[in-house]
Amino acid sequence: MTAFETLSPAFHWHTDQPLEWPVSTDVGRGLSGVIAATTRVMWLDPASGSLGYRGRPVEDLASRWSFEEVAYLLITGLAPDADRTTFQAFQHGLRAGRDLPRDVVFLIEELDPRTHPTRLLRAGISALGCHELSEDDDISGSRHWRDLRIVGQVAGLVAAIARHRAGRPVTATASSDTSLAHDVLEAIGGTPPSAADVRLLDLLWVFYAAHGLDAPTFTSMIVASCLADPYYAMVAGLSALRGPRQGGATEAVWEQLERLAEPDRAEALVDEIISAGGAVAGFGHRAYRMADPRAVVLRRELASIARRRGRPDVFARARSLETAATTALAGRGAHVNINFYAAPIFALLGADAALDPCLVAVARAAGMVALVREAMDVTRLVRPLSRYVGPEERRVPHSGSTT
Amino acid sequence: MIGSVAPPSPQTYDRGLADLIAGDTAVSHIDGVAGRLLFRGYPVEDLVAASSFESTSYLILRGELPDAKQARSWDIELRRWRLPPQAAFDALSRVPRNAHPLAQYRTMLTVAACHIPDPERTDLDAQWRRPARILSWTAALAAAAIRHLGGHEPVAPRDDLGFAGNFLFQALGTSPSDDEVRVFDASLIAQAEHGLHAAALAALVVASTGADLGSAVLAGLGALSGARHGGANQLSFEMLDPLEGPSQARTWARRRLAAGHRFPGFGHRVYHCPDPRVRALEPFAERFLTNRGLGHRWRTYLALRDEIEAALGPKGVFANIDSMTGLLYHPLGLPPSAMPIPFCLAIQTGWMAHCLEYLPDGTMIEPGCVYVGP
Repeated sequence: MTAFETLSPAFHWHTDQPLEWPVSTDVGRGLSGVIAATTRVMWLDPASGSLGYRGRPVEDLASRWSFEEVAYLLITGLAPDADRTTFQAFQHGLRAGRDLPRDVVFLIEELDPRTHPTRLLRAGISALGCHELSEDDDISGSRHWRDLRIVGQVAGLVAAIARHRAGRPVTATASSDTSLAHDVLEAIGGTPPSAADVRLLDLLWVFYAAHGLDAPTFTSMIVASCLADPYYAMVAGLSALRGPRQGGATEAVWEQLERLAEPDRAEALVDEIISAGGAVAGFGHRAYRMADPRAVVLRRELASIARRRGRPDVFARARSLETAATTALAGRGAHVNINFYAAPIFALLGADAALDPCLVAVARAAGMVALVREAMDVTRLVRPLSRYVGPEERRVPHSGSTT
Repeated sequence: MIGSVAPPSPQTYDRGLADLIAGDTAVSHIDGVAGRLLFRGYPVEDLVAASSFESTSYLILRGELPDAKQARSWDIELRRWRLPPQAAFDALSRVPRNAHPLAQYRTMLTVAACHIPDPERTDLDAQWRRPARILSWTAALAAAAIRHLGGHEPVAPRDDLGFAGNFLFQALGTSPSDDEVRVFDASLIAQAEHGLHAAALAALVVASTGADLGSAVLAGLGALSGARHGGANQLSFEMLDPLEGPSQARTWARRRLAAGHRFPGFGHRVYHCPDPRVRALEPFAERFLTNRGLGHRWRTYLALRDEIEAALGPKGVFANIDSMTGLLYHPLGLPPSAMPIPFCLAIQTGWMAHCLEYLPDGTMIEPGCVYVGP
């Protein structure tokens, strides 16, 4: 048995020795401090806030590689430039996943385009799963955790949903020459995107791809631990991704920015939010005691796309709101997080705020596949206990409505 | 629920969070040594013997058995939602017939979730209005999914039937007899809640993100669809089905035991003693099968159980509820691949109770993972 003081600031969620089960750790609210798995996929250093995939810092990955390459690294553990043939086969499979069965396209088309896009995505993934796996398949579908079509399928569905929302024909054929990011942006805007925009969405996706056992990933892992099919694990994970505290968080950031008409009203707006007992959207995260380094990179990217789009006001508002909120909240340990700058970037890329969780879902699908697939090899059914604090044992009354 | 009191800290636990006490609950008490299961203080065998699924679901959700007036209004509320949106039924035409029935059912639910009232409201009031709709919509959709397996169209609900009876009618297209309704109702009661099992935890994690209760239930169903969880009653039935009698069952079990095989429906993470739900259902099962002229099958099951428990009981492996429900569902007319569905319909009651108990506290559930890589 190994004992860890996981809630102590000195604990870095990193060990050089093999972890010996059972373990003894602190157990905090919301299962914080609990070690639910070991991973070789990603590491978030709570001391510096830096995030690395397979031992490489995400900032480096984002500057060198596309999302597809990083997805390959996350899932296989192999560098995409080590063996190009294997990578190209992976990339081909990923891109081919975008071709949706006609019935799945019809299912999306028949739903009201005003439905929240994450609900459409969930329905689409569920239907796709019915086409991918038949009753006679091994329902744990481990084959599908291996061949990784899911990430491409999520991208294909998100593109279809974006077209549906824009009132354009849902069906479109994706060329295997274009990246996932390219196609999704084309679906959103209706025209081929610029190389700079494709690179920017790739960067966002690299940053959003994996973040430990957050609620969507942990949900998927629990479902997969029961040997459910991967599409069910994905539907369950997406159910957690759309909550207002998760992927839905960027929607709140964008609404907040829209409330800020003039940059110099930022302090007043922050005061207003805090005195009403609310939280500043895009601030604070359990894992960070400092500004999220990803947010710092995205701040520069927002400045750049705002210039390209002729919308310097968006950057000015975001920057002044960040400054005001940092002044007000840093003392309480809440710092700027990735959603704060991702939200206005998604908006300038043409996505309406409701589509943001779907865009995050494409990225997160890669991390979920990587983390869940890894856990499938070693995990057992996730089944904790609870302590009973209810009424003492009692008898059912023998008369009245209960019989 | 989790974190509702100062957490016990530190704790020792194993892979899969085994032995971790994740939090407090007033919903149910499971004693895995003495083999006791209480729903809100009431022993499960008493509820199975004397209550209905309607009253038991009210109890699990609200904390007390309903009085006559509360029972009537809960019944009205459940009946009000017996007609899910047509689009959810239509979704069946968009998925292949040979997809797994639970995957087809899942697709109906995801489409129904596109048509719920106030979808983006997740305040407590809105969440409390959802359980009746979820229970009744899922029952109607599950019944349609089962009819679809046999190539039949959905049938309309019947006002003169309660939850269990109406489900059987809608699933099978024929009027169930009183003893069929009673045994099915008993099985729903026995399976209506079971603590923080994997599916309940999945639902709770989703609810903790601020998502709606329907999304939480969908995640729970995902866990339940897995072979290690809710699918076990189908596998257990398929194990039992080809056995021709008690003596063959014993021989077969001995051979499998000698080869070190596992048996679906036997063994449980929490119970190291006979499962109290098995004891609660046993009198119903025996009577029902005997009246159906299936006493032989019941004795075959008992022989198999004896043999396995004699060998593995000392290691804490006993028959669990999944070993028995398929035996009841088969003569009712449910095909094996539909056997996990009644479990889904019943157990979601408990998930919703845990979510509603947790929500006022509501910390987002996010455990950690230790990095052991490069």
